[in-house]
Amino acid sequence: MPADDGLDPVIHAPARLRVMVTLATLRDGDDLSFTRLQEVLGLTPGNLITHLRKLEDAGYVTTAKSGRGVTARTSVSLSQQGRKALDSYTAALRQLLDSAESPVRRSP
Amino acid sequence: MAEDQGMSVAEAAAIAADARTHARQELVISAPVVYLAWGLVWLVGYGAMWLSVRGQHPYRGPSGVSIAAVFVLAGFAAAAVLVVAHRASAGIGGQSARYRRIIVAAWATGYVILLLIQAGISGAVSARTLAFVGLAGPLLLAGLIYILAAALGRDRPALALGVWLVLAGASCAWLAPAAVLATCALAGGGAFLLIAAIESRLGAHAR
Repeated sequence: MPADDGLDPVIHAPARLRVMVTLATLRDGDDLSFTRLQEVLGLTPGNLITHLRKLEDAGYVTTAKSGRGVTARTSVSLSQQGRKALDSYTAALRQLLDSAESPVRRSP
Repeated sequence: MAEDQGMSVAEAAAIAADARTHARQELVISAPVVYLAWGLVWLVGYGAMWLSVRGQHPYRGPSGVSIAAVFVLAGFAAAAVLVVAHRASAGIGGQSARYRRIIVAAWATGYVILLLIQAGISGAVSARTLAFVGLAGPLLLAGLIYILAAALGRDRPALALGVWLVLAGASCAWLAPAAVLATCALAGGGAFLLIAAIESRLGAHAR
C-alpha cells in the first residue's frame, strides 16, 4: 500500500528494492534460484529470507520448492502483482524526483 | 543504513538504477558478444574461403586451410557463447530455460540434417548445387533459428537478423560458388556485426 509520498513501504527499503529490481530483470514466466539471487545481491541467507517473506506476504514475489536432498531447489519469482507494484513505485519515484528538480530548474 | 529505515528519493533511484545495471550484467546473456562471435566466424572464416576460391577456373572449392580456419573460429565462437550463456543463465528456471533447450535442439538437429544431406548428394550433383547446400545451407539454418528465437523471446533485432539471413541464403541459389562464399561472408557476417553494434547501443541506452 502506498505511503503519503506515494512510495510503497514494502518496496521502499534498500534490500527489498534491489530484490524487486533484480527479479524484474527476468522475463515473464522465469524464476531465479534462491542461491543465485543471494549471490547476485550479496545478502546473507537469513537477511534475504527476511526480506523475501515480507515481499511474499505482500503478494509481490512467489517462492517454490522443488526436488529433494542435493537436488532441492528454492526458486523465487516476481508475481504479476509485484511487477505492477514495482512499475507504480518506479513511476512515483520518477514523479517525486521530477518535482524535486523542477524548482531548481525554474530558479534564475 | 538499517534496511527498514527510510531512504531518500534520490537514494532509492540510485539503488534501483545500480541494481538494474548489476542484474542485467549478471542475469542477461550479452547479445552483442554472441552476435560478435558468430559475425567474426562468418566474416573472417567465410571471407578466407572466398579469398581462396577467387580466380579458380574451374571451381575446385575452398582451400583446406580456409576450411580449417572456419572450424577453429566456430569452435572458439561456440565456446565463448557457451561460457557467456552458462554464466548468465545459471539459476534461472522456467520458460527461458525451456526455450533455450528448444533452440539448441533445433540448431543441432538442423546441422546434422544438413551434413547428412550434403553427404547424400555429394558426387551426384554439380559443384554449384553442393556449394549451395554446404555453404548457404548453414546461413539459411541460422536465419530460421534466429526467427524461431525471436518468436520465442519476442526479440525484434533477432527477427530482423533471421529474416535477412534467410533472404541472403536463398539468394545464393542464383549465385556461383565463389559469390555464395562472398554473400555468406559479407551479407551474413556483416549482418551479425551490425546487429551486435545495434544491440550494444540499445544496451548502453538501457543502462
